[in-house]
Amino acid sequence: MPNESMESALERWLDEQTRSSRRAFLGRAGSAGLALSGLSAVLAACGGVSGESTKGVNLNATANHPKVAVGELDFSNWPLYIDKKVLPQWDKLTGGSVKYVEDINDNNEFFGKVRQQLVQKKPIGRDLVALTDYMAARWVRDGYTQPIDKRNIPNGVKNLQPTLRSVKWDPKRNYSLPWQSGATGIGYNIKETGGDIKSLDAFFDPKFKDKVTMLTEPYDSASLTLLTMGIDPTNATIDQILQGIAKISKYNDKGQFRRFTGNDYSTDLTKGNIAIAMAYSGDLVQLAADNPNLRFVYPEQGAMLFTDNMMIPSKAAHPYAAETMMNFVYEPQVAAKITKAVSYISPVVGAREVLAKSDPAIANSPLVFPSDAIRKRLHPYPTLTPAEERQMQAAMAKVTGA
Amino acid sequence: MLNLSARRRRQLFPYLILGPGLLWLIVFFAIPLANQLYVSLQSGDAETGFQFTWAFDTYPQAISDYSQQFLRSIQFAAAATIIDFIIAFPLAYFIAFKAGRWRNVMLLLVVLPFFVSYVLRTVAWQLILNDNGWVVARLRDLGVLSADGRLLATDVAVIAGIAYNFLPFMVLPLYVSLEKVDRRFIEAATDLYASRVTAFRKITLPLALPGIFAGTLLTFIPAIGDFVNAALLGSPQQTMIGNVIQSQFLTIRDYPTAAALSFVLMAAILLAIFAFARLLGTSTLTQAAT
Repeated sequence: MPNESMESALERWLDEQTRSSRRAFLGRAGSAGLALSGLSAVLAACGGVSGESTKGVNLNATANHPKVAVGELDFSNWPLYIDKKVLPQWDKLTGGSVKYVEDINDNNEFFGKVRQQLVQKKPIGRDLVALTDYMAARWVRDGYTQPIDKRNIPNGVKNLQPTLRSVKWDPKRNYSLPWQSGATGIGYNIKETGGDIKSLDAFFDPKFKDKVTMLTEPYDSASLTLLTMGIDPTNATIDQILQGIAKISKYNDKGQFRRFTGNDYSTDLTKGNIAIAMAYSGDLVQLAADNPNLRFVYPEQGAMLFTDNMMIPSKAAHPYAAETMMNFVYEPQVAAKITKAVSYISPVVGAREVLAKSDPAIANSPLVFPSDAIRKRLHPYPTLTPAEERQMQAAMAKVTGA
Repeated sequence: MLNLSARRRRQLFPYLILGPGLLWLIVFFAIPLANQLYVSLQSGDAETGFQFTWAFDTYPQAISDYSQQFLRSIQFAAAATIIDFIIAFPLAYFIAFKAGRWRNVMLLLVVLPFFVSYVLRTVAWQLILNDNGWVVARLRDLGVLSADGRLLATDVAVIAGIAYNFLPFMVLPLYVSLEKVDRRFIEAATDLYASRVTAFRKITLPLALPGIFAGTLLTFIPAIGDFVNAALLGSPQQTMIGNVIQSQFLTIRDYPTAAALSFVLMAAILLAIFAFARLLGTSTLTQAAT
């Protein structure tokens, strides 16, 4: 039947689409965030500007969400960051119906979009969101999230990677649960570099002048620069971070960096316009599948570890349903499917064992499952005060010309 | 139903048909604009909130901090507008005068790029202009670019991207005004021994002025505020004022500075329009609108 073959071809195509990671997708599709951010900028400007901070968030707070019938669940996540086939499974298991929306293209842009409601303590129409560490920290600190009832998430309590169980901004993980992690390190095109790259010093090597891109986000670029200066970025002071940005600025003035990028370094790297990019691990797994010259390396000085965290917004309508979803994705079988689809580092213990049987290539990839030795060299982002964060962003904006 | 006299109804009618447009302008233009002005005069920071303090010094501060990006935006937008005019005028002339039964097909081809997202088209330019691609290789062969010269992350790439993206905005108004030119005037001119060049200069060009005016504005205004081309095809040396406003609003969250920059940009555009209208003669401004 011609119809059937068409359907299977379509399915294959869809499968291939879901294979590329969310960050790679953004690079290729040219972050939709760019197009949208104009709009959110307008929204951010509308209706006056009140303060964002709420004093005295209790990091020890717990919640009591009794079991209720699960109905709707609104889940916002990044594009191509899940295996969509697991969603109907959750529906079947809980009797609910999840509305999974891929509308987070950029932490700042997403925050700009919902900021007004958050500040006014109104619901944002979402029960579950996944945001990167520094943005998650801001949400917890400013009271935009509510505590989760861990009794509803036994899988999360049991299977969360020990290294992720406590973060500075949420020491007991009362407000957040990791979705996926990834590393920021060196992505390079071996045809252009002419050899393996091991050290972060390559970013500043005159040999690669004008063939290097850095990330615009200072949490990544300033932190990795600090590692070249022998400073531990996780515990760096704002003065040290500004020194790191000063180093970037100095080399930028000499023309060392071709561009500062978001996720869109992938085109430059694939096409050989640049030799070295500051890059995300999950991207390179995908890009290398298409272009064997592309490599990712955890630099010898260390790499940055970022985590996108699931959180329940403070006025969410269905917290219990959100918790059942958190519990569901911490089932190793489900986590393995998601890992296979997205190539990022899974926070779920047990996912690797499942994949070892079905997809040993993925289970053995150090980019997806870093060894303990590598994990020791992965540094979490620094935790900054709001004022320090703005100082850092402003200094970096000066360097990138904006 | 209101019981109104026929005369009164006649008086109200213009306002009624104006209503939806006026309402739209008030809700989506006037109110946000007033709000923006209000925000631009506040001071404070994102966490503790911003207070209204008549903080006028945000304006000179913002202008002096980002004068380079302002200037660059004007230069890039002007360059792209001139390039668009040079490409679009012969094209519109051909479609209006020579295309015959292909006219509609050609117009469709001009508009066709709009069927693909703006950002995607700009990403396509990243591929077209890439260092190891065909375009750069040929330009190197021809000696236009040096052996290790490139296009991406240069002024050329950003201007080319803007010119490409806004070209239809130049072609369409030019086409409309050229198409309206009464051919009998040109015939009369040639009958009176004007050469074809003189007829073009004295008849066609002046009659096309409203289209030139409209096309130039429709290209220049969005081009000057554009940030997508500079972000995707440029480097820090190509940052435009749109990129600065975006980063101030979303990353640094200095809303007053961002609002002030938007206002300065708007004022600059308005001034440019008036200067331009004076240049082409004020009557064309009203003609262009009709």
